[in-house]
Amino acid sequence: MSHHSKANTLSVLLSLIFTFMILTILILLIGKDPVEVYSLIYNDVFTSGYGIGQTLFKATPLIFIACGLAICFHASLFNIGAEGQLNAGSFVIALTAVQIESLPLILKLLICACAGFAAAGLVGLIPAVTKVKKGVSEVISTIMMNFVVLAVINYRMVDFFAVKSTLRTVSIGDDSLLGKASDLFPFFEGSSLNVSFIAALVVAALVYILIYKTTFGYKLRAVGFNETASRYIGVKVNKMILTSFFVGAGITALVGINYIFGYKGYYELGFSNNIGFTAIAVSLLAKNNPVGIIFSSILFAALDYGGLAVNQLIPKEVMLVVQGLIILSILSSDSIVQSYFKKRGLI
Amino acid sequence: MEILSGILSFTFLAQIFRMMTPYYLGASGANFSERAGVINISIEGFMNMAAFSFAVFSIFTGNSILALVLCLIVNIILSIVFSLFTVTLKINQIVTGVGFNLLIAGITKFLMVLFFSSSSNTPRISVHPDMAFSITLFAIALILISIHLLYKTKFGLRLRSAGENPWAAESLGVKVMKYKYAGVIISGLLSALGGIWLVSSQNNYSDGMIAGRGYIALAAMIIGKWKPLNIFFACLMFAAFEALEITLQISGADIPTQLIQMLPYLITILVLIGFIGKTKPPAADGIPY
Repeated sequence: MSHHSKANTLSVLLSLIFTFMILTILILLIGKDPVEVYSLIYNDVFTSGYGIGQTLFKATPLIFIACGLAICFHASLFNIGAEGQLNAGSFVIALTAVQIESLPLILKLLICACAGFAAAGLVGLIPAVTKVKKGVSEVISTIMMNFVVLAVINYRMVDFFAVKSTLRTVSIGDDSLLGKASDLFPFFEGSSLNVSFIAALVVAALVYILIYKTTFGYKLRAVGFNETASRYIGVKVNKMILTSFFVGAGITALVGINYIFGYKGYYELGFSNNIGFTAIAVSLLAKNNPVGIIFSSILFAALDYGGLAVNQLIPKEVMLVVQGLIILSILSSDSIVQSYFKKRGLI
Repeated sequence: MEILSGILSFTFLAQIFRMMTPYYLGASGANFSERAGVINISIEGFMNMAAFSFAVFSIFTGNSILALVLCLIVNIILSIVFSLFTVTLKINQIVTGVGFNLLIAGITKFLMVLFFSSSSNTPRISVHPDMAFSITLFAIALILISIHLLYKTKFGLRLRSAGENPWAAESLGVKVMKYKYAGVIISGLLSALGGIWLVSSQNNYSDGMIAGRGYIALAAMIIGKWKPLNIFFACLMFAAFEALEITLQISGADIPTQLIQMLPYLITILVLIGFIGKTKPPAADGIPY
């Protein structure tokens, strides 16, 4: 193991231990028994097929979004706009699916995925273009784009596409829904886990190859590491910024496949519930490595679902606190571990 | 016609000045932080924390002045932790900001359920009747205070030097770290007042009540080009949009209010692209020192 990966593993472990400690203290403060809480989480999340299924179902969108974000983050592009991008993509997926209802499912999926990808990608392209052309910080422009996109969807939605007195689009039809995992494996009975999870794993594998095994990925990381130097070795930095933003944002649209084709059958305003921001934490925890993202997504999903399991003892919102603590503790333990290794000349 | 007379009334004007309050407090706070070179995208979270803690303290102490003091202390602690991350540990400021926003949203939601067994809003709070109005007056006075503090005092000069060229400042004996901490703490205090104003004017705290105001404040700071008076005008403009939106909603006119909601953000992007003058942040803004 190189010193780099040693440092990374150490800081991830430290942050998880720290978060676990704080959570335990919190449970004690409320006057509940931590052992009881943890065994409840364990029993509900890991021992029943339903629990495992729900956890993987909740992990699916996180894997998609965090993988998309990882592409941007590797190029040192702070894409805070996943929330807007994924909503634009999902909205378009729902609208497209209704238009092409008569096509066979597989064709429909492909067309919808492409349409959603393009819509989310275009939303992501706006901050990229303003950055390349005018030097506008992508942080501010992606934050602003989130609000703009949601307002536009809200407007188009409420006035044109919504089913009366709801905030959702028309259903894409029951026979358009993807197969549930429980159809094949009765073990997952009742959970919403569907084929999208496999798609998420495939996307993670593809993004891994893209980042670490291709010339594109090499250039991407070069830009992220040192923009000026990579310009000198002939990397077209502007092109890299545009492509990584388009592809990264595009991938976030795939959550729409999970939600619309795999679960509800329609797009609903507010379905994303700030998952675009949670995914930033997921990607960070995994050091923007797509394989690690699979695990950190499952961890965050398990926390999310575990919250429901312990809701009778402590408010399930405690898991939101835990997720926040994880991101801040990973940031600080990273910084501390890195400087410790550097001081000793190890990295 | 009815809408027009609604807009041209004195109450509408007063409404704009009221609604400007949280924007200007947040934006001035963000400005102090950025002038010291620390980008604080956590203004939204800071406001949220303050609004929540003020509501809780008011309910538990029954004294809104005491609650105000306690709430400010909470936000000072929060700002010090934020500075610890961004200034002392030199962790990326944007990521830290996102983390703080997530954590604060989690903490407030969790404590809401724990204290009030409701995930949406607190019981009604009786706030000192002059609280909201005094904060608005303070916000207007803040224009002069910020100008004086930033441009006419040693403190302001050194604060700005920390954001423009910390290396040169340090070589001249300015304790750069101290000024960066000061900038962030001021941002924490001012955004806290913004949160308190929201609670005192609505007489309760509800989940999601900040509703992006912290981000609009950042937008106003950018449009105002990091200058106190310009920021004030930007905030007035955004407050006018908000007031207009409410008037239109009440009148039931056939104008989509969602599109008005979008304007602050859209205008900010246009300003950044350079359609409306050039913008220039402090030179060392966002760079850890």
